[in-house]
Amino acid sequence: MARLILMFNKQVVKEYPLMKESVTIGRNDENTIQINNLAVSGYHARIDAAGNDYILTDLQSTNGTFINDKKVVSQKLSHGDNVIVGKHIILFVGTGQEAADGKLAGQKADLDKTMMLDTAKQKELLSRQKDPGQGSELTAKIGVVSFIEGADLGEIELRKKLTKIGKADTSEIRLSGLFMPATAATISRRPSGYVITSMGGKIKVNGETIKDSVALKDFDTIEVGKVKFQFYQRETEEKQG
Amino acid sequence: MQVTSYGISDVGLKREGNEDSFSVEDSLGLYIVADGMGGHLAGEVASKISVEMINKVFRKWMEEDAGEEEIFGEPDSSLSRQGNYILGGIRLANRVVYELALEKKEFHGMGTTVVVLLITPSLIIVANVGDSRIYLVRDGEIERLSRDHSIVAEQVEMGMMTEEEAETSSLRHVLTRNLGSSEYVDPDIFELEPSNNDCFILCSDGLTDLVSDKELLEMTQNAEDPGALCKNFIDKVLKRGAHDNTTIISVLLTDVKRPGNGLFKKIGFFIEDIIISTQKTVKKIIR
Repeated sequence: MARLILMFNKQVVKEYPLMKESVTIGRNDENTIQINNLAVSGYHARIDAAGNDYILTDLQSTNGTFINDKKVVSQKLSHGDNVIVGKHIILFVGTGQEAADGKLAGQKADLDKTMMLDTAKQKELLSRQKDPGQGSELTAKIGVVSFIEGADLGEIELRKKLTKIGKADTSEIRLSGLFMPATAATISRRPSGYVITSMGGKIKVNGETIKDSVALKDFDTIEVGKVKFQFYQRETEEKQG
Repeated sequence: MQVTSYGISDVGLKREGNEDSFSVEDSLGLYIVADGMGGHLAGEVASKISVEMINKVFRKWMEEDAGEEEIFGEPDSSLSRQGNYILGGIRLANRVVYELALEKKEFHGMGTTVVVLLITPSLIIVANVGDSRIYLVRDGEIERLSRDHSIVAEQVEMGMMTEEEAETSSLRHVLTRNLGSSEYVDPDIFELEPSNNDCFILCSDGLTDLVSDKELLEMTQNAEDPGALCKNFIDKVLKRGAHDNTTIISVLLTDVKRPGNGLFKKIGFFIEDIIISTQKTVKKIIR
């Protein structure tokens, strides 16, 4: 069975199997897909079954209905279409059977095919509408090292993708000491989190000497020679890159 | 440092054409895989242009030792200079594909994913847009160095979906970012340091749709060299139906030397230990 997936800010709000002959979309409670947002008209659009196909019709809405990047009045839906209604995207997902039927009818539909969610177009459309935003950005976290012993550096945010720790001038965290190597260790920010790697200094994490690399957890204690500091992550207002 | 690399692309059993592109440039230490989308050769064009563009501008900027202000777009202060070259290259490729898609009707809607790996003796840089991936196998563990830009991956990151649910979700092929669909692109870029016996795998989703991370790790550990590994991966994918194009690059680093590795370091550690323990003893006596 074909489905409609209602999404807002890239998040799935709800899934609707296309059970009925006709589905309506709008702000009014009586709609099958009710979207409580000022950018959406009371009765915004309708989707009707027609044989094996589904036809989308705009109900003369104020802000219009878009399929992918095109403003439409009435159009047949294809697997993977993004129906844009105000700030919401409704993704049309066909079924294997419909995909096969589609092929018989000379259409190309393939569930394994990569599709692009048209957020860019959505953003552009949004900028034209005057509805106040209700965006909820994810709060990003940034790693911080807090010095405990051996260096009076306070707290340093790990703003680089790769932070070098050592005596060299190019180090993001400069430490001094007779036996401090140019680069004693590095901390890299990875998809999985922060990882510390020994580069020529004796590095201990929670009292254990590390052989090569180890993933850092909040409040791990790190020793680089005589210098001791603690790692933790805190929320940052800046976007995580 | 010794670098051994191998790249391979296979059309698979279901698709008529191959929309993937890749490049292996050992002289630059630059490795790229791109998975194009869009009908009538458009996907192939998008992936090919992107790979060539990133290669060309990276080489040019390296040769000119270009300043960060000379690259395309605002530099990112969290990245090294080469990291900014890759960022600029991806931005430029995106712009070219985007403009071409707007200009020519037959290219309308085309796009591509991209994964980039740069190897230097002191720094490794990885970048990605879309759902092609880059893995690192180090010390018997496998780590993803790319972030999938797909609806399901973002839901997994937000804790709204489990990895298992994501693998079978009907939305798993819906991307949130690619090259070509908008004027600006925001790649994920990470930097790390090389380590001996690091093995990197760059691939399109033709591989990761059919082979799990655990299997990737086992096969990497059992392979003799990057060439054999890539061929084994392709064999595995073909046995499992190969519904999509599959492209794989594998890069193995051996003989990686870190600064300060050697006898002096060992003696240094030894003396340092003595000094630290002496200081502790002194502190105890003073108390």
